Amino acid sequence: MKVESRTTLGAFVFLAIIAALYWALVEVHGHAFERSGIAMLVFSFAAYLLLGAYLLAQYFRRRRIPRPEDRFDATPEDGAGVVDYFPSASIWPAGLGAGMFTAALGGIWGIWYAYIGGIIAIGAIIGWVTESDRSEDVLPGADPEEILAGHEVPSAATQPHFHAGHGEQPAVTGGSEHTS
Amino acid sequence: MTLLEERPSYPREIPEFPFMEIVPGPRPRGLLKYLTSTDHKQIGLNYLVTSFIAFLVSGLMAELMRTQLIVPNNHFVTSDVYNQLFTIHGTIMLFVFLGPFAFAGLGNYLVPLMIGAPDMAFPRFNNLSYWLYLGGFTMLMGSFLTNNGAAQVGWFGYAPLVEMIHSPGPGTDMWIFGIALTGFSGIFTAVNIITTVFTLRAPGMVMFRMPIFVWNELVTMFLILLAFPVLTSGFALMWLDRHVGTHFYTASGGGQPILWQNLFWFFGHPEVYILMLPFLGIVAEVFATMSRKPVFGYKGMIAATLAIAGLSMGVWAHHMYTTGTVLLPFFAAMSLLISVPTGIKFFNWIGTMWRGTIHLTTATLFSLGFMTMFLIGGITGVFLAQPVIDFQVHNTYYLIAHFHYALVGGSAFGAFAGIYYWYPKMTGRLLNEKLGKASFAIMMIGFNLTFLPQFDLGLRGMPRRIAVYNAGMGWNFLNLLSSIGAYVFGIGVLITVWNLYRSYRKGEIAGDNPWDGQTLEWACSSPPPDHNFEALPPIRSERPVWDANHPDMLTKVGH
Repeated sequence: MKVESRTTLGAFVFLAIIAALYWALVEVHGHAFERSGIAMLVFSFAAYLLLGAYLLAQYFRRRRIPRPEDRFDATPEDGAGVVDYFPSASIWPAGLGAGMFTAALGGIWGIWYAYIGGIIAIGAIIGWVTESDRSEDVLPGADPEEILAGHEVPSAATQPHFHAGHGEQPAVTGGSEHTS
Repeated sequence: MTLLEERPSYPREIPEFPFMEIVPGPRPRGLLKYLTSTDHKQIGLNYLVTSFIAFLVSGLMAELMRTQLIVPNNHFVTSDVYNQLFTIHGTIMLFVFLGPFAFAGLGNYLVPLMIGAPDMAFPRFNNLSYWLYLGGFTMLMGSFLTNNGAAQVGWFGYAPLVEMIHSPGPGTDMWIFGIALTGFSGIFTAVNIITTVFTLRAPGMVMFRMPIFVWNELVTMFLILLAFPVLTSGFALMWLDRHVGTHFYTASGGGQPILWQNLFWFFGHPEVYILMLPFLGIVAEVFATMSRKPVFGYKGMIAATLAIAGLSMGVWAHHMYTTGTVLLPFFAAMSLLISVPTGIKFFNWIGTMWRGTIHLTTATLFSLGFMTMFLIGGITGVFLAQPVIDFQVHNTYYLIAHFHYALVGGSAFGAFAGIYYWYPKMTGRLLNEKLGKASFAIMMIGFNLTFLPQFDLGLRGMPRRIAVYNAGMGWNFLNLLSSIGAYVFGIGVLITVWNLYRSYRKGEIAGDNPWDGQTLEWACSSPPPDHNFEALPPIRSERPVWDANHPDMLTKVGH
């Protein structure tokens, strides 16, 4: 996280310098100039201050312990465990895209398109959110043996999980039916 | 600098302890696969194919425009149609082809592979951004079917012209919303790739071991996050002007037309680098692989990328010198400063090839073409950054030639280099090298024949965006030359299209690592399996696959 936060905070510092320079020069050189550039530069460095500060906070929240991907000598074994939750194929993104497209037509041919598009989009968002309900899902660190005992075979509807593998532990974490 | 010697060798077969095991979810086939897939490779391919089709469509528009300009007082298309053609040509090339081809298409496909991640951080979000992108493209193309035709405002839609009384009809609105949808898609992709790069790298893949392409993608995404929201909010004001009766951009109502120019170019100049940076990364990868050397000056290259991106935020008004409302010395100085990190990049590309074992594949040729053509584009840009010169040639064909050298001879050649370089990874088959080299030669000749005369045309005073010109202006021969060049260029592109089609079924089987590549994407099979990696080589430098394959020639690491 150190390099990440340094990069983004560096962007913040750089943009802040440009913004200060531009602002000062516009003030010195007179009144004929459009001021919107100042506002845009200020918001730009504010955006990177936000991102950089968040990453720095994450760095300290982890007590400055580097993650495996931050260590020069890390091996795949160091990353063992569930990597992340990666949902499999889903129809809802296409639905939400269709909804947003239809809603955009509302700005062109009449607001009623936006109502239709909004309804499609809300429906898609509900489908999307309920699809990824992981409240009864396996949490990282849970014992795979125990989880496997409760399931005969991971069903085809199960969402994929990942173990960056190590050793002979069955690197399989079954999701429950709720994750389909 | 120390040479690390004792490293575990990389198992060539799937090891006993696999890197990842996967519980497969449903994997739909057929049409449903394209509609619902959350696999970053499938989405990346969707992007690549769609944007390449956009390139062909938009290229056809360019050919029509060149046909109109081939002789003076031509009546091949009407002025209205000509206006629509150049507007949509520019818009599609910039928003639908060049940008998404690299930052979304190749970015989606390659970034997770290059950093050893199983997928993007937000797979469904990724899918959504493709659909928004396709929606935007559809809307831009669909605007030709409306009763007033497509937008006629130019790709930057300057303010009084886009108001309702000057540009009635739904075409301009569709242009606004089409770009806005692709803009949203870009923002979503940016969030996705930044998160992926920051959180999903493989163990040992520290930030300063990521391939140059991934770094350039990351920096591009930083720029997208700054640029696109400004454009979208500018469009919101424009839509209010057109439909609600506000006066943000109309002087008559107390508004400020220059405000739109500021908003647009505050987006528009970073956008130029959004279109450029990923391609700079592509050629860096191609040069390194094809010279069998690590990238020369790795950290300097990254610093240069960051410097280009940072400086590009402070140069927007160099597009507006002639408005008389901008701080000329500031913007001229900032614009000239950008040439320094760009020069570092050229230096490092040459340093990468220096004393390397250079393999002149089609990808290398396109990269060399990129380098030389982008140099011409860049140096004429240095001229244009001087207010004294810009006042003379502003909005003439000199400008057209300049940015086509930067974006066609530059970015589009980089795109072709990327196609020839990564096509084996994506399909498992090599493209035909002979056809590829023929395509490159014809494109190179056609390209220079098209755009070199345009520098002269610009200096002779031919303004951009005119559909007809008189015979007595001294422009006839140069325009004829330029149009012939455009057809030649088109033939070169079609050869590559044929090559892509033919090699998909009949190409030589590539194998996992046809180029003796260096970065992680060459460690998995071609095409890569679901969730990418069955085994990872140990990552001890910025080219782990090379280290695994050539234990006698390990990369020097200096951390």
